[in-house]
Amino acid sequence: MMESRPLLELSELTVASGGATVLDRFSLRLDPGESTIVLGETGCGKEALLRVLGGFAHKTDTVTGTLRFRGAEMRPSAWRAKPPIRIAWLANPLSQPFAPHASLADQLARVIARKLGAPLGSASEELRLALERLPGTVTPQLLDAKPGRLDPVTQAIGLLACVSAQTPDLVLADHAMADLGPGAVRMLLEMLAQERRRLGFALIYATGGLQPPARLGGRVIVMRSGRVVEEGDALRLMSGHAHAYTRTLFKALPQLSLTETRPRSSARGQPLLQVHGLMYGGKTRDGLTFELRRGAALALVGEEGSGRRALLRAVLAFEPAASGRVVFDAVDLNILSQTMASRIRRRIAFITGSDESLDPRMSLWDTVEEPLRAHLNLSGDLVAGYREAALKRVGLASLDGKRLVGRMSAFDKRRLQVARAIVSAPLLAVIDEPLRGLDAFAQTIMREVLIDFRVTQGPAFLVITSDFTVAQALAEDCMVFHEGRLIERGAIVDILKAPREEATKALIRAVTLPDLSQAGASV
Amino acid sequence: MSAGQTLEASPPLSRLIVRGVGWCGLGLLAVTVLLSDFIARAPAGMADPSAMLNAPSSTHPFGTDLLGRDLMSETLHGLAETGAHALFGALVAIVCGELFGAVAARLPVPLARAIRGVMGVLAAVPALLLTILLIGLTARFFAPLAAGLAAAPLAFVRAFDRVDVDSKHSEYARATGIPATTLLHRDLTYEFREMLGSVAARALAAVTIILSTASFLGFGAEPPARDLGLMIAAAKATYLAAWWTAACPAAALVILVLCARLAAGLDEGEQP
Repeated sequence: MMESRPLLELSELTVASGGATVLDRFSLRLDPGESTIVLGETGCGKEALLRVLGGFAHKTDTVTGTLRFRGAEMRPSAWRAKPPIRIAWLANPLSQPFAPHASLADQLARVIARKLGAPLGSASEELRLALERLPGTVTPQLLDAKPGRLDPVTQAIGLLACVSAQTPDLVLADHAMADLGPGAVRMLLEMLAQERRRLGFALIYATGGLQPPARLGGRVIVMRSGRVVEEGDALRLMSGHAHAYTRTLFKALPQLSLTETRPRSSARGQPLLQVHGLMYGGKTRDGLTFELRRGAALALVGEEGSGRRALLRAVLAFEPAASGRVVFDAVDLNILSQTMASRIRRRIAFITGSDESLDPRMSLWDTVEEPLRAHLNLSGDLVAGYREAALKRVGLASLDGKRLVGRMSAFDKRRLQVARAIVSAPLLAVIDEPLRGLDAFAQTIMREVLIDFRVTQGPAFLVITSDFTVAQALAEDCMVFHEGRLIERGAIVDILKAPREEATKALIRAVTLPDLSQAGASV
Repeated sequence: MSAGQTLEASPPLSRLIVRGVGWCGLGLLAVTVLLSDFIARAPAGMADPSAMLNAPSSTHPFGTDLLGRDLMSETLHGLAETGAHALFGALVAIVCGELFGAVAARLPVPLARAIRGVMGVLAAVPALLLTILLIGLTARFFAPLAAGLAAAPLAFVRAFDRVDVDSKHSEYARATGIPATTLLHRDLTYEFREMLGSVAARALAAVTIILSTASFLGFGAEPPARDLGLMIAAAKATYLAAWWTAACPAAALVILVLCARLAAGLDEGEQP
């Protein structure tokens, strides 16, 4: 019997960029409808693989090896060469793949029209039909707005519909749903899996997280430094019967623990932040009352737009609250002048998933030293001493102090934020999605750095996250928000064991990987 | 631990080359001006009635004017005087425009907006008209100061708008009690210092054009001052018969402005 031709065949594909080999003799055979997850850290080679397959290799890339689509050989280095199969690209909406000034619906329709060689009107109709097939309420009318006015999840659904409307043979997804929040990722991956079943396209999904292999299944290729560490069925690799690197990688990725019983810290220390009957935003009917003690850690958990940041802005008096009282360090923030409030805020530090909170023009040393120089009259030697101690604790002491922040990696920037917080000696650290955009090992180190910060300096933590694994790693108590309202509060471990509200259950389900736990339990 | 490098874009090589050429040109002009007394064949204003309107030759490489003055010597003296006045005016424009703009952006919002509004209106008035107005209110002697002040509003607006007071890092700084003076220090240290070269070159080009045009129109320098604009104006009577009388000072003016524009990267001031 004659063997069917594979959709894609890669043989000894090697990509060198800037003198370094970023993909080393990579071989792959992908049959129609087959799903392959390429898993690894940033820079492991998956980005180079996708850009060669997508036909937009960098001009500095030297590509060798064989690339065949349905048996037809192509020059892998041919820039934007048209392959004999229809390839669709599923981008991450957070990578800003759209022009900012044109309607998103128009831009998606143009992509479909170009890929199908159809008139724009027909492409718009295809987009409408694709959106109708996807569960949810996203319509072409909703997408008929500039990308900046739409939330990333809506954009992601639009991108998925665009891919679906192209009826592709192969979909390339480059971290397509990273950093969208666990609930959204779960929903989008289920949509992608559903469309794949319906249209039967093959999929190559590059990721650094656990959700795609757990939810999409299929073959997983684990990569490191441009080379394949191992490949196999998702369940087998995740079950523990895997290469040591794969096991370490999976171990580094955050997972929920229902058995962890850390002592609740809310009963320790004097009250640091007392909120009484705070009315904020437009959706709260009853005033919010809670207390955060010195050294305690409280997580505000909820999806994007659930009201956590509105609460934070009201609590820290960045925006006036309708009513209520906020006492921070025994001072009522709402009765203070701007100058006095500014003095009080010196004892608050922020560590956020958005590295824009760092001035890209400043150097590493200047960034760490600035809080000391701005607030205290210290000698240069003392400032240098504090700076070095902070940088050592976050593992940045070996970097050139004159390196500009704008030229640092996301992981270094995140640790730099912690170093800046350490020298501020804050009473309260606001930690907002601290692991966003980091790969597995970087997330592990970042968690350890934050935990060390809390243990050694004892600031209270106010953690804002949509991910219960992050909340559990950094805090003991949580308040769950949904659609602008507080729906549940208590010890995280108790809420994980017995969530009362449906929205809380959905947040927990989003980070619970049933396949993994079942497979792990069976080992 | 390898995480994606987010490298900020460096200025492209072509712009660096353009700037390099511009600064080299300005450097050569500066050397020429400093040595003008040695290079010039005659002191400023020395006339030779026997050599009126002589075409360029080995004796007078740039020819002579209506009064028989050696145009090469006159152009060198004119370049020195125009350049010196333009440098002073550029300094005024930098301090009253760029520096004040950067500082004003960090003032309390209502005050900053009021100042920005006034300077925006002034920037809408042609700088030449402002210069003439200021000279009229004071004296011709203050023409370089007037040209610098006239160029300042546009420089102010550029500097003010360049400061991103709503950036995330500014927001973070305010949220953690970092005072506005520290943010201003950041702007001056990292942004202004970075852009000082292109800002100075652009101001030099602008003030040179304003000063020369005012002199050409009769509102700026007056005889016996050696000013390139004034020299071009004086050549109006003889230009059709003796092109070199206007062409030589005009060429010097073009070279000075072109070098300054090249040194500024041929841009309008947003790139460092």
